[in-house]
Amino acid sequence: MMNRRLILAILVLLVAAFTVTPAFTQDDLMGDFTVSHYFGGFGGEFIDGIVDDFIEANPGLMHAASPVDHEQFKTSILVQLAGGNPPDTFSYWAGARIQFIVDDGLLQPIDDVWEANDMDSQFPGAVIDTAATYDMHRYAVPLTLHWVGMFYNTALFEQVGAMVPTTWDELVDVAEKFKMADIPAFALGSINRWPGQFWFDMILLRTAGNDYRNQLMSGEASYTDPEVVRAFGLWKELVDAGYFYPDANAYDWDEAANQVANGEAAMTLMGTWIGGLYAGNDMAPGEDFDYFSFPTIDEDTPRASLGPIDTFVVSADAANPDAAKAFLVYLTNPDVQWAFAEGAGNLAPSLLVDTSNYNNVVARIAAEIAADPVFAFNYDLATPPPVAEVGLNSFSEFMANPGDYEAMLERVQADAAAEFAGME
Amino acid sequence: MLRRHPWIIPASFLILPLLVYFTFVIVPTLNSLYYSFTDWVGYGADFDFVGTANFEKIFTDRLFSNAIKNTAIWLALAMTAPTLLGLALALALQGKRAINTIYKSLFYLPICLSPIIIGIIWVWLYSPKLGIVNIFLRGIGLDQLATAWLANPNTALFAVFVAWAWQQTGLNMVIFLAGLTSVPTPLVEAAKVDGANYWQTLFKVIIPMLRPATVVVLALTAISALKSFEIIWVMTMGGPFNKSDTLAVFMYSESFRKFKMGYGSSAAVVLFVLTLVIIVLYFRFAAAAEELYD
Repeated sequence: MMNRRLILAILVLLVAAFTVTPAFTQDDLMGDFTVSHYFGGFGGEFIDGIVDDFIEANPGLMHAASPVDHEQFKTSILVQLAGGNPPDTFSYWAGARIQFIVDDGLLQPIDDVWEANDMDSQFPGAVIDTAATYDMHRYAVPLTLHWVGMFYNTALFEQVGAMVPTTWDELVDVAEKFKMADIPAFALGSINRWPGQFWFDMILLRTAGNDYRNQLMSGEASYTDPEVVRAFGLWKELVDAGYFYPDANAYDWDEAANQVANGEAAMTLMGTWIGGLYAGNDMAPGEDFDYFSFPTIDEDTPRASLGPIDTFVVSADAANPDAAKAFLVYLTNPDVQWAFAEGAGNLAPSLLVDTSNYNNVVARIAAEIAADPVFAFNYDLATPPPVAEVGLNSFSEFMANPGDYEAMLERVQADAAAEFAGME
Repeated sequence: MLRRHPWIIPASFLILPLLVYFTFVIVPTLNSLYYSFTDWVGYGADFDFVGTANFEKIFTDRLFSNAIKNTAIWLALAMTAPTLLGLALALALQGKRAINTIYKSLFYLPICLSPIIIGIIWVWLYSPKLGIVNIFLRGIGLDQLATAWLANPNTALFAVFVAWAWQQTGLNMVIFLAGLTSVPTPLVEAAKVDGANYWQTLFKVIIPMLRPATVVVLALTAISALKSFEIIWVMTMGGPFNKSDTLAVFMYSESFRKFKMGYGSSAAVVLFVLTLVIIVLYFRFAAAAEELYD
């Protein structure tokens, strides 16, 4: 298993090495160049390799890459930015998190290189609008695109004779079949809280729709609205029926993913990065595991895809902004985007990537995203961080005490309103 | 000059440690106080002075009240369980038998470990399916008691406390052992000659003589309890849904997760004041104990 991963990593690094083209070589790039990112495992090795290639192509640069733990990064990068000594460029989550630091003037626009390299033609309009553009300026280059869906154990589905559900009622029927077979239908590992958000996100998107959700995320709608109450009510039906693997708050997302892989639970609502984990377990996509899009609940509600987009941005106080911008241009290279997507099991945002190379699961997911009129960011990337803290806690509380959710939503609304007021 | 001012040499030795103390303790403390009157988010140079608004808000904040309640529970437990256990261990292991030395070392061992390591060890012990706590409970037929200790809102705080107390007890034992060496043997012997049984000797002679050690144990335990953060963060991050939030965790969450450094600093000031009160009480009791036994 390790050998396969190692070979894969080496292959990807070799691919990346050969993707260095003269277009990214600039004789005038000189001086120190610092890159910081939150990717671990394959992603970390890949980015470090990419930086090495970039430096090799630009011998005037001296670089320092500094990978940080994914959770720790959320704090450490802000401390670096506050200290006035930030990295020239760093990875960051598109959506409310970028908007949060753009509002404080901590990033610099990249309109010049964006236009010069015609990046409008390289990325889908929806991705440019939601992930790259803030306050009418381009700030971020998308590197990876993840999608949230239901990933399931195909053998277990066959065992109980379950078909892929396309509606809420069918989803409940499938869950009931698993319950009859004494197998929890849904694994959820919410010890770090964020995996719980996908359930709320998807149910709300499939009932109230994206426009209402946007209002909720920006504080224009209330957590006590009937739309939110209904979303939690539907979620509660599944919890009350005993369809979830017990003690969701005791497990991390990868433990929940492994519960599905091991046949202890049938499916888990997760992002495409689960494919990377399953690949490491020698599980073949489309054979050992497969996926389905979260079922339709209200037919009149327009479909929407959900997920995070990882980007790279340039610090406002970057000591070497020219090198940082050149690096961002380098990241748009379709070979780089493809190599990263292939290794990590996610999708490449670039339109120039040849999608015929995707495995059959990722290829079908790419088609789903293309067909959906909306791509929405998950909850903690869609609403400002202080409000996200309130909501993420509520999802954990709900999994422990689903019976009290209406009283809980009143508290959430009071806390969220206070956080929004504090940001004005 | 040195003859006229003999304090110059000892004072010169103090310059470096004082400089370090001033830079890394006094300055950050004053900084916290300063930021507690601002709306600083923790990064960027822009912030406004908000007067006492943070302090007015904090005392109506539901999560702050929750953190105060949990801190009070934690403090009450900390003052009793590890103190009594430390005393019991010290009484059981006093004396010079070789086996006692081994036991003392074993009980003291956790204090040598980082709270992060202790937290990680106990997360494994508490694992719902594979943790030894639940395996043991199921093994002796108490299946109904087996639970997800760190995910259950009713048990999370207490489960983390047990891990913390496991470490703290060893330190208390050592302090009580040191205290026991200062209990005059003739006094204990005299009590026995006068017909006192073990419990009478313990409660009428030994424990009163241990008052200075007890004051040290209680003060150190209280301060350690109030600033408990690492082990809670590693084990639950204050969760599930704030059920194991203490003041220190609340302070960190507000500052670094919600990016409200000004507000988090006001929690730090409250924590500082509480700790200061305990230190003052400690010095008073310590002085009283010294006077009593001088």
